[in-house]
Amino acid sequence: MKNNNQEVWVGISDKTNDPEFLEAASKEFVELPIVDTLSKEEALDHGSNRRDFLKYLGFGLGAATLAAGCDVPVKRAIPYVTKPDEIVPGVATYYASSFVNGGDYCAILVKTREGRPIKIEGNPLSEVTKGGTNARTQACVLSLYDTNRIQGPGKIVANEMQSEKMSWADLDTAVAAKLTATSQIRIVTGTILSPTTKKAIGEFVAKFPNTKVVTYDAISSSAILEANQQSFGEKVIPDYRFDKAKVIVSVGADFLGTWISPIEYAADYAKNRKVAKSKGAKMSRHYQVESGMTMTGSNADHRILIKPSEQGAAIATLYNEVAAKTGGTSINAPKVNAKAAKQLSKVAADLVSAKGASLVVSGSNNVGEQNIVNAINSLLGNYGSTIGFANASMQRQGIDAEIQGLIREMNGGSVDAVFVMGANPAFDLPNSNAFQAAMAKVGTKVFFDGLMNETGSLCDFAAPTNHFLESWGDAEPKRGHLSLIQPTISPLFDTRQVEETLLRWAGSANLNKNADQPYYEYLKASWTTEVLGQQSGFASGQAFWDNALHDGVVKVNRASNEIVYAGDVAAAAGKINQPVAGDGVELALYETVNIGDGKYANNPWLQELPDPVLRTAWGTYLSVPISYDGKNYTTFRNVGDDNQKGRGEKLDVTRGDYTQRVTALPQFGQMPNTVSMSLGNGRQIVGQNGKKIGSDTFPYCSLDKNGNTQYYAAGVEVSNIVEKVSAIPLVQYFNTMGLTSGQKKDFNVDEDILAFQGSLTDRTVIRRTNLDKIEEFAHDLKEERSHHEHLNDQTLYPYEAYKKDFYDQGHHWGMFIDLNACVGCGACSVACMAENNVPVVGAEQVAAHHGMEWLRIDRYYFGDVENPSTVYQPMMCQHCDNAPCENVCPVAATNHSSEGLNQMTYNRCIGTRYCANNCPYKVRRFNWLDYTTADIFPGNQFPINGEELVHGADNLTRMVLNPDVTVRSRGVIEKCSFCVQRIQEGKLTAKSEGRKLNENDVKSACMTACPTGAITFGDTNDKKGRLAEKLDSDLNYIVLEEINVRSSVTYSAKVTNKDESVDAIS
Amino acid sequence: MSAPVAPVRLPLVEGGKSYHDITEDIVSPTENAPGTAWVIAFLISVVTLGFGLFCIFWTIYMGIGTWGSNRTIGWAWDITNFVWWIGIGHAGTLISAILLLFRQKWRTGVNRAAEAMTIFAVMCAGLFPLIHMGRIWLANFIFPYPNTRGPLWVNFNSPLLWDVFAISTYFTVSLLFWYTGLVPDFATVRDRAKGIRKRIYAFLAFGWTGKAKHWQRWESLSLVLAGIATPLVLSVHTIVSFDFATSVIPGWHTTIFPPYFVAGAIFSGFAMVLTLMIITRKVLNLQEYITVEHIESMNKVIVATGSIVGVAYLTELFVSWYSGYVYEQFAFYNRAAGIYWWSYFGMMLCNVISPQFFWIKKLRRNITFTFFMSIFINIGMWFERFVIIATTLARDYLPSSWSYYMPTWVEVGIFVGTMGLFFTLYLIFTRVAPVVAIAEVKSILKTAGDQYIGEKANDGDHKNSAH
Repeated sequence: MKNNNQEVWVGISDKTNDPEFLEAASKEFVELPIVDTLSKEEALDHGSNRRDFLKYLGFGLGAATLAAGCDVPVKRAIPYVTKPDEIVPGVATYYASSFVNGGDYCAILVKTREGRPIKIEGNPLSEVTKGGTNARTQACVLSLYDTNRIQGPGKIVANEMQSEKMSWADLDTAVAAKLTATSQIRIVTGTILSPTTKKAIGEFVAKFPNTKVVTYDAISSSAILEANQQSFGEKVIPDYRFDKAKVIVSVGADFLGTWISPIEYAADYAKNRKVAKSKGAKMSRHYQVESGMTMTGSNADHRILIKPSEQGAAIATLYNEVAAKTGGTSINAPKVNAKAAKQLSKVAADLVSAKGASLVVSGSNNVGEQNIVNAINSLLGNYGSTIGFANASMQRQGIDAEIQGLIREMNGGSVDAVFVMGANPAFDLPNSNAFQAAMAKVGTKVFFDGLMNETGSLCDFAAPTNHFLESWGDAEPKRGHLSLIQPTISPLFDTRQVEETLLRWAGSANLNKNADQPYYEYLKASWTTEVLGQQSGFASGQAFWDNALHDGVVKVNRASNEIVYAGDVAAAAGKINQPVAGDGVELALYETVNIGDGKYANNPWLQELPDPVLRTAWGTYLSVPISYDGKNYTTFRNVGDDNQKGRGEKLDVTRGDYTQRVTALPQFGQMPNTVSMSLGNGRQIVGQNGKKIGSDTFPYCSLDKNGNTQYYAAGVEVSNIVEKVSAIPLVQYFNTMGLTSGQKKDFNVDEDILAFQGSLTDRTVIRRTNLDKIEEFAHDLKEERSHHEHLNDQTLYPYEAYKKDFYDQGHHWGMFIDLNACVGCGACSVACMAENNVPVVGAEQVAAHHGMEWLRIDRYYFGDVENPSTVYQPMMCQHCDNAPCENVCPVAATNHSSEGLNQMTYNRCIGTRYCANNCPYKVRRFNWLDYTTADIFPGNQFPINGEELVHGADNLTRMVLNPDVTVRSRGVIEKCSFCVQRIQEGKLTAKSEGRKLNENDVKSACMTACPTGAITFGDTNDKKGRLAEKLDSDLNYIVLEEINVRSSVTYSAKVTNKDESVDAIS
Repeated sequence: MSAPVAPVRLPLVEGGKSYHDITEDIVSPTENAPGTAWVIAFLISVVTLGFGLFCIFWTIYMGIGTWGSNRTIGWAWDITNFVWWIGIGHAGTLISAILLLFRQKWRTGVNRAAEAMTIFAVMCAGLFPLIHMGRIWLANFIFPYPNTRGPLWVNFNSPLLWDVFAISTYFTVSLLFWYTGLVPDFATVRDRAKGIRKRIYAFLAFGWTGKAKHWQRWESLSLVLAGIATPLVLSVHTIVSFDFATSVIPGWHTTIFPPYFVAGAIFSGFAMVLTLMIITRKVLNLQEYITVEHIESMNKVIVATGSIVGVAYLTELFVSWYSGYVYEQFAFYNRAAGIYWWSYFGMMLCNVISPQFFWIKKLRRNITFTFFMSIFINIGMWFERFVIIATTLARDYLPSSWSYYMPTWVEVGIFVGTMGLFFTLYLIFTRVAPVVAIAEVKSILKTAGDQYIGEKANDGDHKNSAH
């Protein structure tokens, strides 16, 4: 070894001390090499010259820019000291759990990243929700990171969101001091699905024997429970099987959107509504009897319009018609309106012809009416086929009379303590005022919910429970269908599960207070002792528990009694609500898919989700009828003239001494002389997102003779226009399409009404047909599509060759959307927001049409002007293979991948919005303002609801963000990416497992969210995959096929199953 | 130099001016203190410019969300104003380039101011494509230059990129042309000036001494620039129209757009030239240089281009009906009878009907009438762009996405601000540079009207001064 001095050398010149090398080496770090080589002569001869000057100027500027631009401090990026086994940074972990909020239930998988729950997926193992979700389920992950959550135990300051903090030990002592063994304690709660929670309450009741549990649901089904008690001796909601019904009649039950178990019902319902091919097409027929158009009504084949007070009469009329045809005894029934009576006669005939395979449901909350519904189903032989009790639903357990009884008790001064958990009677009762007043007479009031509400603000102590994503628990939504709730994150705040609190106060011996997670042990013990015995799959407790926790759901055998119908129809007929005669305006109140009874009012994802029918967000709106005489149309109180400019009018709605001023919007399919309003908004004590949104409509409700809440008001006064509104958060103006005028050709209602809207009916956006004309339709569609293909082939550009070389190779992503399966619920829309970090923009910006949704559900009407049918069309980026957006971008920020994806490069986008203008589907969204707080300028964020700390600006809310998806800054365009991050993840999984990509590796967020399977995402080049199967139908079409943008999204035509003779009734 | 004998031709410069009179008349505004009218006008312009600058700041700081445009109507006032300003610029180039090549000598009276107007209008126009960007701080992305971003290159398929080239070329050529014309006139001003003014004008005149070689080179350069500028008159607005014509949106996707836009641009440009000239000649006392003859000539161009535009509107309507294509039909039905019917009506009234009055000679020569008509046409041409851009976008393929647009105060402020910018620059221009091309006017003084022997032949003393 010659080089002993450890010297480092680069070449032979190095070692030979070549003079040139030495000189170069001495200059190595002195001068810029480029200056040296480019201007060697001049540099040597003249020192600096013009060229040098320019170079140094350039370098100086560049260096200054770099120096100024490189100061990017990294904040709060702390690695694990000891990495938990189950967490691999960058890899998502899924936990099976259950979404439970009162009676709302969904079996879910929680996606967590680095220990944060960020997305909810449906659990396909569940036989109840079957892998589907709804908007509320999808949005629940955001409520975990709600900055308005109560952050720990404390003493409540009246009418304030804050409470004076105390420790749990102090709280326990303080409450214990107030309770004695004989205390009259009332636990006010919504439906409790959890058997173990009930067990814990049972232990508390054992300790304090004068405790009573008062269960009620704000939007209640107590009449069904009571009617079933009377008809069958069982106080349960039966198991409705919409998948077995050929004829479905719903009298005011919004079973696809909100009623009892909408995810389950929607999935079952869609099974018989999907039409795969024109040949031999079969589908169920759905009649909806209602006043205002609900989401379920909008999916019906026929809607029969009644006033809300006529509901009982309609049910009784239907009963008599069915009875006449099946030999039942007729009852004395009040008269429903003449048109409805004729229609109901047809309905009865249809029902009887499908005896044993029909289903009549009603959302009525009158015991008499529900008894008659039971009688109808009994006459039709539906019990045992479409209605069962073996797997009866537990999702509504509340009895309205109980909470009314409690108010009387409280007023009587006989109640010592009230515990409120999962309920808000100070807001959501028709007589919430009475409850508020009665609360003042109760000595000790404890509030257990995690989010302050009107009832909580009247309480003394806050004992906040965990968010369900931080909790252990279980649920039994249907008899025998159990599911577990497991925490996916440690409690973010100083909260304690309500069950643990109650067990501690009960001094339960079964609760190991010193355990790390006492309620976990309690729950596990309960399951491994009780549930283990009810199932047969596992012998050992631990194996059973592990498996149950893994699967999330367990099916057990529960004994159920033989059910015999023993109802008294005649007696029931005497109890129904009597129709109100005269010209008084009637108000129907309904629950929306997003806000529910008000529990979800503080969730901005749900507030921002437009109502499927009304297409409004952030508020309460009054739907008013439109009447049409064949030439002119008039709207109720002449509202809505300026709706197409986003402006509107407010009306005063008065019942007794209660008045609310609400924005009125004309709504097709609203019964004349009735108006509709949603429940749930208008909250007073609520977090920043629900504050001052909409109107409180619960006071319009009333109680019937049995103390059951009636969700309508017969004698309301509606004023003329009292105020103009300059901007309504209305995402879709009243531009409808395809309404039939009775002539052969469809016509557009706006054309007639507004005289200048023009023809919309020939647009190739929505294709639809009726079942009896389906083959003719399929034939016409084929011809039209081949004509379009012919037109599209007339091009100078060799598309086909390109397609063969690129798009037909490898993957080509595409989507199929079944318009017949889409019920419009919006689960996909919220799932998309959650998956893709889509910002919330607030009412004002929604009104300005600055909403950011990547996936929207367009609503169009067709048919009878006064009572049209509806079609919902999920619309997102179509990933056109000949995309008009791509060629117009001056900076190539949007381009096409070889897999057919239209890609958006946010970093490159300068925000000219040319692509959005040139998009025929108008799916591109621009970040108009700093919605995400990701802007380069500070202090210009846009508060979504006037809050001080802008939504999303805090680190808590930011925890919900999907780390796989860029948060877009102000000034860039964004749009549906076909969940490209999921595609990449799927590819990586396949690659790391050394196999071909499987179609189940990649599913878009909208696809997995959909309860009805309306959306199928996949690889169009996979000729054996799920997409190929769907694409092979003669009912399929492409929106705007003739403009040759070559969209990758295929829609299946909307098929209705109308009976012309029902439509002909006038 | 033997002048062509045109006994029926009226002199292009009235008032029997001598060469010296011309110098005196035209240079004097640069030498005297401005009048009250100028000061008031200047203050108003600067204030509106200031407000406009604030609105631009507000847009950049807060975001485009401060405007009324939305998910459906991505472009509205911004691009409307852009196209409007660009169109206005066209008259200057037409007058200086095409009319130069066609040897239309009457142009000498108005070409200087018209060219200045072109440059200022293009400056106003160029502002909009910049500030309508969501991220203006990355505006450098639209220039194709070797870069460290990959390097990432621009998208040469995009009409917006073509705009970048079209407008920057247009601005450069127009500026050169204008300045070239100014050089001998600056020399004239320099020769009369003293002190610091002399030094400034000496610099601006580039050492012009009026040698024959200078004149010869100057003439050649003017011709070369005119040759370059002439295709620009046609190409710039053609390319602007491609922003719309190459899209897929019904109402935009139209092959008629290039000629229709060019005609409209010249139409609106002449209207703006008239608006400015009528004020300028009055305020600066240049009635004898910018004569009624000029006004009439320009009115003739207006009636011609206005009629072309009118035919284009009607052709569009016919073709949309004839296409048998529902989206196309609806787009035009909507323009004429949709929620923005008033803008279409305004456009038709101002652009098609009103210029037809100029078939009447008396009205063509009526200065007050012309002035109001020029304003009318400016409004009409603004409406035309609004109709094409905003109302078309408001109602396109999917009825679910239809929307409505109203400008916010920010957008109005920016538009008013560009007016402020335009007039600020124009007012400065009238004080520092000869608003009529002295050298060129002098060159035509004896070539056009000095042989005139008809009526009013002895008005003034130009016969005498000519000898």
